[in-house]
Amino acid sequence: MSVETRTDVPPGTAAPAEARRMLRTLARGTATPDRLRRVGAVLVVGCVVFALVSLFDGLARSGDVRDAGQRIAVVRADAAELYRSLADSDAMATSGYVAGGIEPADVRARYDADIASAADRIVHAAGLLPADDPAAEHIKTISQQLPVYNGLIETARVYNRQGLPLGQSYLDSGSKLMRSTILPAVDKLRMLENEALSRAYGEGIAFPFIVLVLGIAVLAGLVDVTLREQRRTNRTLNLGLAGAAVAMVLALLWWSVALLVGAAQISQASTHRTAATALDDARIQVLQARSNESLVLVARGGGSADSEFTKLLEKVLGPNDNGGLLADAQQAGVQVESIRSAAIGWREAHRKVREADDNGNFPEAVKLAVGPDPTGSGATFERLDAALGLALDTQRKAFDDNAGAASAALAGLMAGPTVLALIAAGAVIGGVARRVGEYR
Amino acid sequence: MNTVNARRPFVYLCIAGVLALGSAVITGLTPPPAPPSTATQEAPPPAPAAGCEQQKVDSLRPEGPLPPPGQMPPGSTMDTILKRDRLIAGVDQGKYRLGFRNPTNGELEGSDIDVVKMIAQAIFGDPNKVQYVVLNIADRAQAAADGRVDVVVNSFTVTCERQKLVEFSTAYVAAAQKILVPTASGVTDVKQLAGQRVCTSRGSTTEVVLRKPEYNLDVVTYPNLPDCVLDLQRGRVAAVSSDDIILAGLAAQDPQTRVVGGALDEARYAVGMNKSQPDLVRFVNAVLEKGRDDGSLLASNQKWMGQQLQVVPRPAEAAYRD
Repeated sequence: MSVETRTDVPPGTAAPAEARRMLRTLARGTATPDRLRRVGAVLVVGCVVFALVSLFDGLARSGDVRDAGQRIAVVRADAAELYRSLADSDAMATSGYVAGGIEPADVRARYDADIASAADRIVHAAGLLPADDPAAEHIKTISQQLPVYNGLIETARVYNRQGLPLGQSYLDSGSKLMRSTILPAVDKLRMLENEALSRAYGEGIAFPFIVLVLGIAVLAGLVDVTLREQRRTNRTLNLGLAGAAVAMVLALLWWSVALLVGAAQISQASTHRTAATALDDARIQVLQARSNESLVLVARGGGSADSEFTKLLEKVLGPNDNGGLLADAQQAGVQVESIRSAAIGWREAHRKVREADDNGNFPEAVKLAVGPDPTGSGATFERLDAALGLALDTQRKAFDDNAGAASAALAGLMAGPTVLALIAAGAVIGGVARRVGEYR
Repeated sequence: MNTVNARRPFVYLCIAGVLALGSAVITGLTPPPAPPSTATQEAPPPAPAAGCEQQKVDSLRPEGPLPPPGQMPPGSTMDTILKRDRLIAGVDQGKYRLGFRNPTNGELEGSDIDVVKMIAQAIFGDPNKVQYVVLNIADRAQAAADGRVDVVVNSFTVTCERQKLVEFSTAYVAAAQKILVPTASGVTDVKQLAGQRVCTSRGSTTEVVLRKPEYNLDVVTYPNLPDCVLDLQRGRVAAVSSDDIILAGLAAQDPQTRVVGGALDEARYAVGMNKSQPDLVRFVNAVLEKGRDDGSLLASNQKWMGQQLQVVPRPAEAAYRD
């Protein structure tokens, strides 16, 4: 049969014809060597498919986790710091105005530093976001409105220096822009990045169903064939097939261990993230409360406008001073006692400000709010803000460490199991070839 | 069946392939979580004030001469204020020269503030025993009616509608509603503004006038008048309308604007007080009477508005209904 076909085929097409013949024999041949080759081919295909799936899945997972730790978490931190800078700049602008006259140099310097830091963060975050990212729209809003805000505040300063009350209208207008447009956009950015982070980590350590099913099938095939060969030949183990099975077991173990380690690290990272989010939120409430304290004084609206302050601090401290965002942070492992006492201290100082203002002693209220008195609202606010900042830095650092460890655990996934599966494929070829050779 | 057979490994792989494909398809088909709706609703604009019968131009007659400062009749409203040791006054802090916060020292100043100080001087013998509460234009009547403040001195125009809520003193100054436009616009009359955006404070008497169909204006309102100037400076509105006294203060802060046109309406500013405190109304009227007689009201107007207005507004004449 083979001789006839070979004479019909013109020279040059000999190789494809040979390949077709071999394929046909592989698919339908009934001799034992043909059957053996067929078994080997199925197993090799299984190993190679596993290798490919493992490669792509591993690539996607290690990419997700690395992206989460190195990009999304960074943008998220940018958003949180951006919020802090902007809310702080607004608190500085208004409290600088409360004092009357030219604002104190340190308040002005802090405002300038806040705006510079905000601009840095915007550029940094924008550089990390792909153009089609849903968060890009918010970055655009922030970067468009920030110069407008700064322009309004600068105009307010110019009018203030001339002793004209129009400055206050510019200040109000700027503050309103900040609170109604810019800060909500930053908040949305932060929320989007939080969601993206959860999603990326979730996908990174999701149950590897496809990889496991394929791996177990290949392994079952290998074990099945190895055992049957051993029975059929009444001989010792076929080393090639057994080696392939061992390589596959190792590949599956690699997957399991990498994902378990990664999941543990990510779980710890998530705890730190929960803590950081609670602390970020607390800091935002505190900054807004500070702005509110100043705005109520500037507007001289009386005590009724002060309810906002109480509401904001209650979110931080909880209704009985033992809950709120600080309790959330505490559950996530943060030592919040010093923050809590600083917050209660500030609330007490604020109460004195309101008491003075509500009793008609406006100058005293202003002095308590922005003066240098260490028990005044200005100084106690600074202490609270610093305590929150310190705790936040600790949590962010811990998050970075865990995120890095998770990323390292999953980094090997794209190469290790794939190489093992390819080794298994090679071992199958070797094992089958040896057995087929015995039929020559 | 101890022969070599590829069927079993093949079946294993096929089952695994089907399962893998199936799970991939299910994952792909799961819809992503829908983003929360961000729709917001805007509050409808406040309805203009309803019609009202003829406004009263008169107030309650003073009961003889003023008592000496610090010695108010026992049981009177003034005595309550004296014992509290401060007068609570509802004012504005954005109306330059009338009631404004001087940014260089944080103090409230202006001709309205001078009236408050006159009242405080008469009660305490000290013009500074005052707690100032800054009120939005639309809140002025309610603040006096619910007792949040003792007196409202905030370019508060006497209207019949407001008289239902508060008792007014006699008028201490008269004003005329005009428009403030950019000097470069060349506008000299409200008729040239038909179809354009004109800004004023929400809930003011000027808003009602501007909304008259004959002017055909696109009226924009803000809680306070200076916000209108911000829009004027940014070219978002063509003009700002209010009383000439107030507009003069705005023009003084921006030399690129000027007050033009004939009077769209006349206004008389008075001190607003709680209806249940006629003794305080009579007392304040006595204070204003004294201010008219000794020239201190005119001197205050001269001090704050002399530079801006060619004709310094004279204190309005008092009229009493009893």
